[in-house]
Amino acid sequence: MSVNGGFQFSHIQAFWFFAAVISVAFGFLGRRQPKDRVKYILWSFLLFLVVGIGIGWLMYPFSR
Amino acid sequence: MDEINPVDEGSVKSVPPAEALEATPEADETSSLEAKAWGVAVAGWLVPGLGHALQRMWGRAAVVFVTVGLLVVAGASLRGNVFSARGSDAFDALGYVADLGTGSFYFLARTLERNGADVSHAGGDYGTRFLATAGVLNLLAALHAYEAARGRKA
Repeated sequence: MSVNGGFQFSHIQAFWFFAAVISVAFGFLGRRQPKDRVKYILWSFLLFLVVGIGIGWLMYPFSR
Repeated sequence: MDEINPVDEGSVKSVPPAEALEATPEADETSSLEAKAWGVAVAGWLVPGLGHALQRMWGRAAVVFVTVGLLVVAGASLRGNVFSARGSDAFDALGYVADLGTGSFYFLARTLERNGADVSHAGGDYGTRFLATAGVLNLLAALHAYEAARGRKA
């Protein structure tokens, strides 16, 4: 990973990265049992994607 | 003439003065627990994950450290805006507070971002959001560690 400007994310990569990192953090902070954590992480990740893509489509008619 | 109700002295409990309450062992214990919880919260803010590590919550400590660290490194690498105290408006001040939430990692972000912020492209904007999110996430983790140290179920 280059630090001085050589590192770039596309919009969708940034979106996936953000959703994954935050879901993992929420899963570990919010649940105690490993099984519950995995379920929470997957559910949170899925909701991030659905809501993010949904908002994207809602904004699409006003994008130009 | 007003009728005065006789008071059953057996039903009236004497209320101890505040000084006596403060001196009880329970009050001392509560005060000590509260001080420890604040210490844990400050440690967790300064070094992401340390608040949980001090309570031997190793998994949570590692995850907080790694997730906050990843967001800070990614944010700085994308040349996001690391706000300083010399902001010109309320948004800069809010951004500074959010960035400060990363504790010592704020200085890591400033060190990594040698060429300064560049929000003229989308990547820089993502980076700004990542850095702010890292700060808020770390504050949330510090609050979680504080609650756990106070004995709340966490």
